Parts: sequence; C-alpha cells; structure tokens
Amino acid sequence: MTDTPLNMVEADQTLVTRLRAWWSGETANPAKRVQFDRPLTPWLFLLPQLAVVVIFFYWPSVQAVTSSFYLEDPFGFGATFVGMENYADALNSSEYLGTAAFTAFFCVVVTTLALGIGLLMAVKADKVIRGAESYKTLLISVYAIAPPVAGLIGMMFFDMHMGPLKDLAAFFGYDLKVGINYWDTATALIVIAVWKQIPYNFIFFLSGLQSVPVSVREAALIDAQSGWRRFWDITLPLLAPTAFFLLVINITYTMFDTFPIIDVIVKDKPANNPMTLVYKVYLDGFKGNDIGGSSAQSVILMGVVALLTVLQFRFLERRVHYG
Amino acid sequence: MFKTTGMAIGSMLLASTAFAATDITWWHGMGGRNGEVINEISQQFNAAQDACHLTPISKGTYEEALSSGIAAFRSGEQPNILQVFDAGAATIIAAKGATIAAEDLITGAGEEFNRENFIAGVRNFYADSDGKFIGMPFNSSAPIMYFNTEAFEKAGVQPPKTWEEFEEVAPKLKEAGYLPMTASQLTWMMVENFKSRNNQQFATNNNGYDATQGTEIIVNDENQVMMFEKLKAWADDGLYGFYGAGWADNLKPFEEGKAAMWIGSSGSFGGLQKSADFDFGAGFMPYWDSIEGAGTQSFIGGAALFAMAGKPEEQNTCTAQFFSFLTSPETQVYWHKNTGYVPITEAAYEMAKGEGYYDEQPVAEVGIQQLMLETGEWSKGYRLGFYPQIRTVMEREFNRIFSGETEVKAAFDTIQQEGNALLARFAKTAN
Amino acid sequence: MQKIKPFDHLILILGVLFLCAPVVMALMSSTHAAIDIHSNGLSLLPGGNGIETYTKVLTHRGGFTGDVTGLLMLRNSLIMGLGFAVGKIALSMMAAYALVYFRFRFATLLFWAIFATLLLPLEVRIMPSYQVMSELHLLNTYTGLIVPLLASATGTFFFRQFFRSVPDELLEAARIDGAGPVKFFIDILVPLSKTMMAAIFIIMFIYGWNQYLWPLLMTTDESFYTLMRGIKSILQVWVGSQIPDYNEAFALAVLAMVPPVAVVVIFQRMFIKGLTESDK
Repeated sequence: MTDTPLNMVEADQTLVTRLRAWWSGETANPAKRVQFDRPLTPWLFLLPQLAVVVIFFYWPSVQAVTSSFYLEDPFGFGATFVGMENYADALNSSEYLGTAAFTAFFCVVVTTLALGIGLLMAVKADKVIRGAESYKTLLISVYAIAPPVAGLIGMMFFDMHMGPLKDLAAFFGYDLKVGINYWDTATALIVIAVWKQIPYNFIFFLSGLQSVPVSVREAALIDAQSGWRRFWDITLPLLAPTAFFLLVINITYTMFDTFPIIDVIVKDKPANNPMTLVYKVYLDGFKGNDIGGSSAQSVILMGVVALLTVLQFRFLERRVHYG
Repeated sequence: MFKTTGMAIGSMLLASTAFAATDITWWHGMGGRNGEVINEISQQFNAAQDACHLTPISKGTYEEALSSGIAAFRSGEQPNILQVFDAGAATIIAAKGATIAAEDLITGAGEEFNRENFIAGVRNFYADSDGKFIGMPFNSSAPIMYFNTEAFEKAGVQPPKTWEEFEEVAPKLKEAGYLPMTASQLTWMMVENFKSRNNQQFATNNNGYDATQGTEIIVNDENQVMMFEKLKAWADDGLYGFYGAGWADNLKPFEEGKAAMWIGSSGSFGGLQKSADFDFGAGFMPYWDSIEGAGTQSFIGGAALFAMAGKPEEQNTCTAQFFSFLTSPETQVYWHKNTGYVPITEAAYEMAKGEGYYDEQPVAEVGIQQLMLETGEWSKGYRLGFYPQIRTVMEREFNRIFSGETEVKAAFDTIQQEGNALLARFAKTAN
Repeated sequence: MQKIKPFDHLILILGVLFLCAPVVMALMSSTHAAIDIHSNGLSLLPGGNGIETYTKVLTHRGGFTGDVTGLLMLRNSLIMGLGFAVGKIALSMMAAYALVYFRFRFATLLFWAIFATLLLPLEVRIMPSYQVMSELHLLNTYTGLIVPLLASATGTFFFRQFFRSVPDELLEAARIDGAGPVKFFIDILVPLSKTMMAAIFIIMFIYGWNQYLWPLLMTTDESFYTLMRGIKSILQVWVGSQIPDYNEAFALAVLAMVPPVAVVVIFQRMFIKGLTESDK
C-alpha cells in the first residue's frame, strides 16, 4: 500500500525524463553507444526512403482509413457517413471473430514451423561446407517459383480426387477432404504457407550465421563442449538480431501475404473453410467492392498487428543483444 | 501459327494506316483461349472499318477487371468498354453516371437497336426495370444437365426432365454402379436457377430491379428449403454427391465416369469432350413438376460489356459501332463456336443452325434452347447489391448443411438474415 | 576443423526433398499434355510433350498486338526484379544508417513511421494508390511500377538489425582516423554488409520478379506484360469450358525460375565471404 504513491511519482519522473530525452534524440537505449552528432546529415540519408513512404504509403493510406467511416459506392458517386458502423458490423459478427481466432492460430503455427525448420536447415547448411551451395541453390529455387504455380501445385497435392496426399492419407485410413473439412483445409493451408516461407528464413539465417566473425567461431569451438551448448550459448545470441527481424517479418507474412494461398486452396469460394482476416478483407473489398467495410476491417487488423509489433519490440527486443 | 503471324502482320499494317482512326479501349477479364478470341474479334472489327481502332487489354480476372475499372474511373482513366460479370452487375448499374446505357449509346449514334432481336433469356438480365439495355450482354451461358449416355443405358432409364423423374431414376442409376448426380456451384444452380426454372420470386422490389432501397432477398421460403432438404436426403442416400464449393471438384466424378449426371454450364461441353472418354449428352436443368408454373427459362451467367461514361462523343460513336458489330450474326457465331458461350441474338442462333453446327454439336444447342423457353414473371433476372458476399454466405451455409452441422431451414434463415443485412448496407452506398 | 556428420546431411537432404519435390513435379509435369495433367494430376516422371511445350512458350506471340513474347515478358520481369532490388537496397541501407548511427530528434518516431508500412498491405490501399499514381502521371511507366513498391520497411528494418550488431569499435576507430559519416558509410559499412546485401538482394529480386497485381492495375499497354501475368492468364480460363494449358503454365514457371537462381549462383561468392580458410 505504502509503496504505490512512491512508484507512481517515480513513473511520472521517468516518463517526463524519457520524453525529454526522446525529444533531444537521447533515448535511454540508443541504437549505438557511439553515434554521429550532426543535425542535417541523417535527414539527407533518410530523405529518399521518407519521400517514397509518404507519397506512396501515407497519402493513399490516409484515404483508405478515411473511407472506413463511410459506406461508399465504389465508383465514387455517393458516400454516406456512418461513423463507427463499419467497425461495429465487423466486430459484432461471430463469423468475423471466428476468422480472427483462426488467424491467430494460423499465425502462431506457421511462424513457429517456418522459423524452426528454416533455422535448423540453416545451421546444418552452415556446418557442411561441401554441398552447402547446392542446398542453397535448391532451396532458393523453391522460393523463386511463381506464386500462382506454387499455389496450383499445392492445390493439386491436396486435391480431393487425385492428390497424392489424399492417397497417402487414405493409406493410413484417413479420408482427407480439403475444401470440405475445416481442419483438413487448415492443414493444407499451414503446410503450403510454411513450405513457401522456409527458404526465406533459411536465406536470412544462413547469411546471419555466415556473418559471424571467424574469430568468434573458433573461440566457440575451443570453449564449448557439445554442439548443442555451443549453439545455445554462442550462435543463438549472435543470431538474435536476425531472428528478431525474421519473427516480425514472418508474423506479417502469415497475416498479410498468405491470402493468395487461401484463394487457390478454397478455389476462390471459402464456404465454411478457414480463412484469415486479410482474406476476408480481400473478399469483401476487392471481390465484393465493399470499400467502407473492408477499410474498417483493415484498420482493425492494422491496429492488432501494430499492437503485436509494439509488444514484440517492448518485450522481446530487450533480450536481443546487439554486438 | 500461321494464323497468329498473319494477324500480327495485319495489325501492324493497320496501325500504320489507321492514323486518322479514333482509338477506343476495352478492358476484359478473360484469359486462355477466350482471351485470344477477344483479340481476334477486335482484329476483325478493326479490319472491317477505318474510322475506329479498338484495343482490348486483359485486366486479369473478372474481379480484377472490375476493380481496375473502378480505380480508373475514379481517376478519369477509365476505358471505353468494361466487362463486368453477372454478380457484379448490380454494383455498376447502381452507380448511375458511371456508364451510358448500351441502348442509349447505340441509338444515340444513329445505329439501329431492337430488343426483340435478342433471345429472351438475355433480354432482361442487364437491363433496367423498363427493359432498357444498360449493359450489352456479351458472354452468356446457362446451367444445364449433362448425362453419361452409357450410364443411363445400363440402368435402362431416360435422363430426367423434372426432379420428380430424377427421384425415380436415381436409385436405378445407383444400382447400376453410378453416383446418380453431382452439381457445380450450388448458388448458381440450386438457388438462383432454382428460382428461375421454377418461376419463384428471389427478392422484393421486383427481384431488386425496381429499387435498391428496401430490397430484401427471399430464400427461406417453403420451396427453396424443400429443394435443399431433398438434396440433403439424396446425399444421405448416395443419390447425390456434394464435393464442396469448388467447381472442378464437383465436375471430376462425372469426368471420371463415376457420376451419371452433372449440373454444369452450357459452355462446358468443349472441355468435357477432351476430358471425358465416354459419350455424353445434355438436357435442360430439371425443375419441379409439383411447383405451379415451373419450367420457365433460366438466368444467364457470364458477363456483359458496359460503356463507360465521361468519354468524348466520337469515341462513344465508335463504342456503339463496336456493340453493333458484336451483335452481328457472323461475330456471334464465331464467338459461339470458339468459346462455347451461347449466341445472344436469334439471328445468330438461326445462322449457326443453318450452318449445321448443332448437327455436329447437339450439346451446344441445349443452353440456347433453355434460354428461349417461356419467360416467367421471376425468370428475367435479379439485381442484388453486394451479391458476391451473399453468395459467400450461401456457400458457407451449404457446406454446413451437407456436413450435418446445421438444418436446412436454419441455414436458409441465416442466409436470409445475413443477406438482408448486406443488402441494407448496399442501399446506403447508393446515390 | 568442424566434423561433418552424416546426420547433418540427412536433415538437409530430407528438408530439400520436402521443399523441392513440388518444384521437381512442376518440371516433370510441364512435359506432359495439358489434358493429362487435368485428368491425372502431377507427375514425377517426364512425359513426351516437353520440346513442343517449351518451344511454344518461348516462341508464341501472344496478346492483341502479337508482341507479347516470352522474351518481352522476361525483359519486363527483369526490369521489375532488378529495379526493385537495387532501389530497395539503396534506400533502406541509407535510411537504416541514419537511424542507427546518428543522434537526432525524432529518430525513434521516424523508425516507427517507416515501420508502419508493414502494417497495411498494398491490396487494401490499392484504389487510393492508383489515384495517387494517376495524379502523378506515372501510369504506364516503369517508375510507377517500381517506386511505390519501395515504400515498405522490410529492408530498412533488416539493415537496422544488422547495423546495430556491428561492433561499436569500428566507428570509434573510424572517428579517430577522422572519417566523416559518408566516408564511414561507403568505405566501411557497405563492404561489411555484403553478405546481408546478397541475401536481401535475392529476396527482393524475387519479390519484384513475382509482382502481379500492381503491374496489372497500373499498366494498360501490352508492352508491360510480365511473366507472372503470362502465367496467370494461361491458368485463368472459364473452368469446365476449357482445360487450362497447365503444361504451358508450368513451363513458364520453370523458365521463370532460371534468372532468380542465376542471381543466387552469381551472388554465391558474396555469401561465402563470412567463411575463411581456417574452416576448410
């Protein structure tokens, strides 16, 4: 009880000091111990990226967000201001909430599998010097295959009449019905989404591993006994910045970039198959021309992902040790 | 090979001579062979006259083409002609000012236009409630019933004309070792065209034609629910196979010779001739004899061409000329034979018949004949906003019905309720 | 020095098998007839139509103008891939450099402002984006095709992560030598980032290479056709009425894999930079 007011004062002080520090550019946790201290130069370096972001992202995005408060005829003749109605419609639908739940599940499973397998393979490829290049080239070719064809192959693998995986499941006495059975479809989506993302993680993990200085590697070899301990104590901390990057990117990948896979697997008719929130946005906005409704859904989604990201930066990045 | 090269040379020559021609553009959503036929028709139009030069461009799928057209219209970059698919028609027709009614465009350019020249089934679908053509019907198809000839011979029965007949023959087909029936896209077959073939009202406000405000869908009525209760019962008895919402998944058992009947599109025969190694025939989509006034024509599927507003007069004249060219019997027959879509005018139908095309391809005639059946009060068409989303709701509920998660009546109550919510939302977007 | 265990290879081989099987099947299936693929699905063994299909794909003159050839689509895809990868690396390295190595106001805010671009995919803002392009008169231009795609934070975020893990001693040493920010960036940081640049180049090249929706919306001229549009257009037929030319789509996809894989092989040497003699 007595501690509480004291803490609050402390917290206030930190907030003020933090704000002041932030304003002057001195964050409590600066990116570098040593930094250049020139007022203009960083702006010159940032300018091209900022210009592109402002013109091609913020300008259109503001319009997209504005339209979430309207019900609008797509051709731009009529628009009725409806306030939060589009948001309420989305959030009050049990369908929407079910889709949100699946999205969360999908996100966790795909990210975990794609990161785990990608890391495992990168560590192994980093170890074997002979043949590493062939493995790498082969894996990149997977990443390079055209998305529509990748989707088509995935669909044919799981085809309910002639897919090889259907036959495999039948061999074990299971009747695999992708497109009819919710969880069968979910499995297909996960396998294909993971398959497409492993090479991406592999490439970045491998380049992260290979940028570890040789001196560190040699020291590690001498110090640590088992390979596992060596990985856990030395390699993983060094990989942490890459791993953190990949975690964030993989989450945005499963959230935003998997909808073409869903579209192919459900043959553009989701029926009662699982789908992600972005696929719903795509369905309502791009296919159904409900601009207001789909904008509101995207804003909700943007809020959720932003929150997730902030949490990751807040709690996970603290543990990431940069060089 | 020679043909395409020849055409390429032809177009190069044209490009050099057509300096004075008015350029018009056509955005479409067709790929593969159909996309090529669109190019060929455009070449033919350009070759047939000097004043106009038409350039078609593929804009991906139907949805992508519509979205491209919308984005372009909002920026004043719209094409002269935009192809819009059946379920998206309400969106573009509701946006008054986005298009020029095809009929006004043609008559305004001094060309002749007569509604009666079109076959009955395509006359109203893209028209307003007075029957004035807003969109120009282009690629049209009808849902028909295909049957495996051998299967019916083995079972010793005739292909059914009504669902009552189906109930009689189905057990015999099953005994003969066949799955009696599959059907693709139940939304198109068993809801929309259940309504048209049985002359059932689909929505208030004259199926949505009279007004956008206050239009409500009618699907949880006794007859519609009965259709799906029958389907569910047939599925449970092994008389009907449900393979989800995917078109091809439901077609496959028929292609493999396992299913005796398939309800599909009138245009599907070209693909079936390659993929099925048995003789097949086709008949009209069955209706219920027990429903009074049933047996009317079906709705068309496919897409129409819309003339976009905001274009200069001389370009609109060219668009009008192209629309007239498109409905000429020669062009229609060329399109019909090369793509499998039905011809949209009576003259074109007569011409194809006169050329003996239906003696070679009897199945190609079935769709047209079905579209030429008697027009019922409710078989003209429907105009429902956010209809792609309503279809999605239906597909979801149908999967639930056949997996036993829900009862038929409850499912249609849900469709009715969610569909009306969507229609009410759409009404707020309209100007 | 490190021992190579057969177990490591086993894991790699299993992984590669799982990942590459579909690619192999695409290659094999591309040599079958379309109807064969339609009726029997994917194949593990070669068929007899390979030469015919590949010849057709390479020489076919498609489109309305007849100018849409494999070569034209290849060229456009290359422009998209290279333009995007190079632009992305340049822009994001510079931005990340400013964010990590400088003390200035709003640094955190700007990082988040750039980072936010990951949160709203193009599909969602595609209509307003088109309007912006139209107002800037960038429709039907390569600039309009490439530059808007650069507005994403992946690269900046990635280089930020890497720069932060570069030892501080480097900068201290450089400052003692009197190197300014530009000199430090070009002479020290860029060479140090080669492995990372190679990795992101490959990823970004493929990303640009595989673009579909944006070029589709942005261009109304067949001379901007890319391989991805060619592939989609083959597959996109009215289901049931025709059998899509699966074999041609597979063949195009196989051909479309060659340049990205070539890029990898070219950049292979950069990848290996991290390893030195002592490892061999």
